[in-house]
Amino acid sequence: MRELPIIDFETDVLIIGGGLAGCMAAIKAAEREGVRVILVDKSNTIRSGCAASGIDHTWAYIPPIHEKMGYSMDDMAEDHRVGTSYGFFRRDLFSLVAGTNYDRVQDLENFGIKFRYEDSPIPGGYRIVPQFHSVPTSFNFEGKPLKPTLTREAKNRGVEIINRVQMTDLITTDGGISGAVGVHTRTADIYFFRAKSVVLSTGRSNRLSRNPTGFDFNTRMPSPMCGDGTSMAIRAGLPVINIEFLTNILGLGPCGNYNPNYGDPRNTVQPAARIIDGKGNVIVPRTQFYDWEDLGKEKWTSDAGRKVWRGGRASLVKRHAAGDGPFYLDFSEATDAEIAYIEWSIKQEGKGTQFMRYFQGEEGADLRKNRQEYAGLWPREISGTAAKGLWVDKNLETEIRNLFAAGDEVGGLPWQASSGAFAQGWYAGEVAAKRASAQGNLPSVRKDTVYQRRQMCADMLDRSAGFHWKEVEIGVQNLMDFYCGDIRSEAMLRRGLERLEDAKVASMKAENPHELGRCLDVKSIIDNAELVLRSSLERRESRPGPLGFVRVDFPEQDDENWLVFLAIRKQPDGTFSFSKIPVDR
Amino acid sequence: MAFKHIYFDEQLCNGCNECVEVCMCDVFAPNPEKGKPPLVMYPEECWFGGCCISHCPHGHEGAIKIITPFQMRGSFKRS
Repeated sequence: MRELPIIDFETDVLIIGGGLAGCMAAIKAAEREGVRVILVDKSNTIRSGCAASGIDHTWAYIPPIHEKMGYSMDDMAEDHRVGTSYGFFRRDLFSLVAGTNYDRVQDLENFGIKFRYEDSPIPGGYRIVPQFHSVPTSFNFEGKPLKPTLTREAKNRGVEIINRVQMTDLITTDGGISGAVGVHTRTADIYFFRAKSVVLSTGRSNRLSRNPTGFDFNTRMPSPMCGDGTSMAIRAGLPVINIEFLTNILGLGPCGNYNPNYGDPRNTVQPAARIIDGKGNVIVPRTQFYDWEDLGKEKWTSDAGRKVWRGGRASLVKRHAAGDGPFYLDFSEATDAEIAYIEWSIKQEGKGTQFMRYFQGEEGADLRKNRQEYAGLWPREISGTAAKGLWVDKNLETEIRNLFAAGDEVGGLPWQASSGAFAQGWYAGEVAAKRASAQGNLPSVRKDTVYQRRQMCADMLDRSAGFHWKEVEIGVQNLMDFYCGDIRSEAMLRRGLERLEDAKVASMKAENPHELGRCLDVKSIIDNAELVLRSSLERRESRPGPLGFVRVDFPEQDDENWLVFLAIRKQPDGTFSFSKIPVDR
Repeated sequence: MAFKHIYFDEQLCNGCNECVEVCMCDVFAPNPEKGKPPLVMYPEECWFGGCCISHCPHGHEGAIKIITPFQMRGSFKRS
């Protein structure tokens, strides 16, 4: 039996997950005098997380523009509560994100990210489009270099970045965080960190369902993010909210399986494109570019604005169910300038550049001439970006003292996405550094978890035979799709939980450190799957899309009892308990 | 025939391994022969984000090419 080396680290602030939120947290924490910061990422912070290959938008309340429109923070909060969060809304988190992300945009500009354009008619030279709210609130910008830029800024401030280490366990001492454990996925060395405060920012829980292409890692959002933070948190006894909303994301991403993710009826292309059915009927019309010439004149009343903006996706879901498909994204009415804008925007976002290499390069196709279909195989993911996540207080602190969370790790503000990552990352970094400064020595820590994890990893590497990680992952995804898919009922969910027991004890064999990392991915996926099954069992109601939660034994939507954050937690004896936390109205 | 969709141009690739470093899915491994293109170890774990190409010093010249797998193609009107 091999003995994997344990490498010890001591730091003031440890940040787990180096996406946008983690990088922002590291930068801000390291600005505090005398605070040592370590940032750990399972990939490489230069290209990791949802913004790995770039993003093109982030929303904020923009005082110099929105005040002139007569659009207040309260208007925006109401837009977000009703239209974007479908009621699952935390006002304190909204205020933090909406109220500070404009400042973060200015920080990003100082780091060299391009937000302003000479040809823009918008005050400040910004490019701003309507997307998540009834008036334009999303900056369109050149976010392709974000991750290399934030990595550079973190390093410039003395942050120690450790790449290719997959974190697996949190360690607590007397109700406070004291350390964490991870595994290097190229060496299989065990990394043990002692820290005074920790920020958890590992992003989303992907890979809980089969990917319809059969290309398992071609998920909409990056496949390495498979709920490691949720898994660590639940094993540390923390509550996770709304994880039951694993659902089809109908209406996202035309060109179906490719998932370039730019064709949401509310997405940034919408002013230039409309959605039509096979007969050419317009299902969702183009929205207008805003009249920037006269901000006061065209004030969008909340009701009218919301009507235009909210109509899209819901009607697409219903029309599909009524047999009105196929549907296409249609740019035929777009002007050359609009097409140029859209191409620019797509090429900043996620897989957009790669999609355009395919669409224009490999196929010789053309955005205007070749309608793109919302093609039949929709992926499933936890709906609403951040409906699901850790329960934190208004300072982003969890129930474990000095353990903070940021970005998509946090539940309670759906579709906070990059805005949540920038704003909460920055804020979490600030409070975590402050908290670390206020402490004297590192908290004492027990190393049992480190040795247990080392043993588990050595077993996976050493055993002569076992299941390949992918067999177990596909098995879990298949059972989630069958027992916890479009049709959920008590009996089916209970059977799903029974079958998940087989996956929990499946003995996986890793041929090398890379495969060991994947085996640990699967362990996280299993933990997340269990939470989805159990929370689905507890939520005794149904909810229409985009949440798309159907309990056939409780077919009615029940706002009185269930328009609440459903929090699940694991008790020390291994059982699970639930609580309902009121949403903000 | 093993599945393959990522190709290196041996003339353009200088074996710098920048793609090995940045690939978030850890698809590549350095070639044991120095200066040669990386090995595509785990093509089925590719996310199609194109970070390898963005980050390649000769990416825009075509040093790395992704040929889109059939099942991800064609969800658009040909004419």
